[in-house]
Amino acid sequence: MTEYAIDIVNVTKRYAEHVAVRDLTLRVPKGSVYGLLGPNGAGKTTTIRMILNIIAPDAGSIHIFGRSSNDSAVTERLGYLPEERGLYRKMQVRRVLKFLAELKGVRGADADRRIEEWLERLSLKTPEKDWGLSKIDELSRGMQQKVQFIGTLLHDPDLVILDEPFSGLDPINAQALKDTVVELKHRGKTVIFSTHMMDNAERICDSVCIIARGEKVLDGAVADVKEEHGQRNVALALDGDGMAGVATILCDHSLVRRADDSNRFFEIEMAPGADPQALLRRIVESGASVQRFEMIQPSLHQIFLDKVGATGIEEGMSGNG
Amino acid sequence: MAKLWTIIKREYLERVRSKWFLIATFFGPIFFSAIIIVPAWMAARSKATSDVYNTTILDATNTGFGHRLAVNIAGDTTIPGRMPIVKLVTPDELTQAESTATHEVMRKLRTGYIVVNEQTLAGESARYAGSNATSIADMAQVKNAIRNTILASRLEKVGLDNEKMKQLTFIPLDFSTERITERGRAGSGTASVVFGFAIGFLLYLSIVIYGQTIMSGVLEEKTTRVAEVVMSSVPTDTLLAGKVLGVGAVGLTQQILWIGTTYILLKLRTPIMEKLGVPAINFSLPDITLAAGVIFLLFFLLGFIFYSSLYAAVGSSVNSESEARQAASPLMIMIVSTGVFIQPVLLNPTGTTAKVLSLVPISSPIIMPIRMAVTGVPPLELAGSLVFLAIGCIAALWLASRIYRVGLLMYGKRPTMREMARWVSYAR
Repeated sequence: MTEYAIDIVNVTKRYAEHVAVRDLTLRVPKGSVYGLLGPNGAGKTTTIRMILNIIAPDAGSIHIFGRSSNDSAVTERLGYLPEERGLYRKMQVRRVLKFLAELKGVRGADADRRIEEWLERLSLKTPEKDWGLSKIDELSRGMQQKVQFIGTLLHDPDLVILDEPFSGLDPINAQALKDTVVELKHRGKTVIFSTHMMDNAERICDSVCIIARGEKVLDGAVADVKEEHGQRNVALALDGDGMAGVATILCDHSLVRRADDSNRFFEIEMAPGADPQALLRRIVESGASVQRFEMIQPSLHQIFLDKVGATGIEEGMSGNG
Repeated sequence: MAKLWTIIKREYLERVRSKWFLIATFFGPIFFSAIIIVPAWMAARSKATSDVYNTTILDATNTGFGHRLAVNIAGDTTIPGRMPIVKLVTPDELTQAESTATHEVMRKLRTGYIVVNEQTLAGESARYAGSNATSIADMAQVKNAIRNTILASRLEKVGLDNEKMKQLTFIPLDFSTERITERGRAGSGTASVVFGFAIGFLLYLSIVIYGQTIMSGVLEEKTTRVAEVVMSSVPTDTLLAGKVLGVGAVGLTQQILWIGTTYILLKLRTPIMEKLGVPAINFSLPDITLAAGVIFLLFFLLGFIFYSSLYAAVGSSVNSESEARQAASPLMIMIVSTGVFIQPVLLNPTGTTAKVLSLVPISSPIIMPIRMAVTGVPPLELAGSLVFLAIGCIAALWLASRIYRVGLLMYGKRPTMREMARWVSYAR
């Protein structure tokens, strides 16, 4: 038995105009929550589509749970939530779910039972109202997303692939999604998500892979990735006045290599060889009121900017690659 | 196979459950009965109308000829209101009487007037003036009545008694027409042309409607991204096949329901039309053998597969309904230009145009069934047409599946023809 849920080796996918994925090697450990990070057009969606066997790679191999990705037995162990969501608008909720279940090999009474369980669990079926009997287009956007989510998990897949799962989710559904991801992990399932929202990835993922322009930039466990990028960062929070003085200090490149300014909170990357204590003294001397000054590991966001930079963002062929 | 069945089932059930399907299935037979019955009814009406009863006979013969003519026109004098009015006049008063009668017609009190005089008795001339003077059937009846009355007068002169004379001159001829084909007599000529037209129209309509249905279905799956979810579970070819077969089965269900209920309606036309207060029409339905029926459905199915797979390809390559309409215009041109030939083929079903069009897959699904309805088609031509159409279907499916599997994943701008040609060459 292999220890990887997904094992991608030297995969390349070309389109007429450009190379969408170039020589990508990627291993996703079983039972992990894995983030596929990258700007729009980096090749995330193309990679996911190859994992799902929607498109075939031009070169390289993809194995899912040790089997080739075009093995039909594999597809029934996968659950997929596409980036932009939608369902058959004129179809009744239960019939849509039954259809999706049957496509994954769950049939008859078994499918019906699971659908009932999920509808109750996500409050789509309450004593007052059974939304399962409504048509999709009679549901609110949030409810439609729940239905789609049920469709992804109905057949209890071992590998769940979520493409930009947080885009367009309201805070309540976003929390429900995070809870579910954690629960899936506890049950030993593997979850992959693609996102360009680093904050979410940092909080949820065990491991990440950053890709840009179709190539892998870095990958590994989140802790390792951060470790590797050192303790050269400072979190700084200010209270009230003295912003102008601080701004001048942060422009001093002998001390500060880069500062990410979120108005009253700064993530500062120290210049090579610079002393953080010297920076603190300068800030206090400038008269600013310091709420927090802490040595931190760089955030994924910082690492991402560092590694990919602005040049990593280019228009993808499909617009959501 | 189980997954193909799942897709077919969804396509079929979702469409058959729709209101649109119920409405079309219910109104279809009424519509088709109407296109068959109305022309037949019009034909029946071309037997003289009741207008001829509402005439005035100006009799200047002084022999009672006018009264005899009136009886002859009425045919059955026991029915009230069928006897034309007879006015006896002298030759001198005739001009004045004609002027009065003209005014009556102008004021729509009467339909027209007949002038009979010495020349009429001699069998030389008679005159009619009226608002229905252009009605061929009415005029034929008046002319016949005058002829018969002259004949009766002459027979009377040579001493034939009244009874004998009636027996000899009463000829209630009902002239019906029937068409003969290589397979023998094939029902009324008019009815079979109407039937051929109905078949052609039905096929034409179905291909357009169900082709567009498939196109919107594919487009919906693409724009809602359901396609991606389905494609992560089944190969694209299975999805395409499931759609074409599922929607095809809907079309077939509807055709069978349409043909079945139309047949029953036509069988029951006499009581139905009597209820509607229209005189029953006597025409025989074209006799269609079971084999011919199966071949019709086969043409429908193959024609449907040919066009709907191409419509699916178009639906997969675009991003909105308005783009789809534009991109589908080459297909519409193919179908409409076939539609243009329906009438010429009906008029000359064995001509070169008809023969060529029934071999080309673009037009054969519509043209061949029409030819079969109106004339006998040699088995070799029939077989050739089916073989070419089957080859056309395979080519269309091949092309469509290649465009489909790439197109479904391409968002953004509409592809050019060159780009689509390149998609066809993609491995997958």
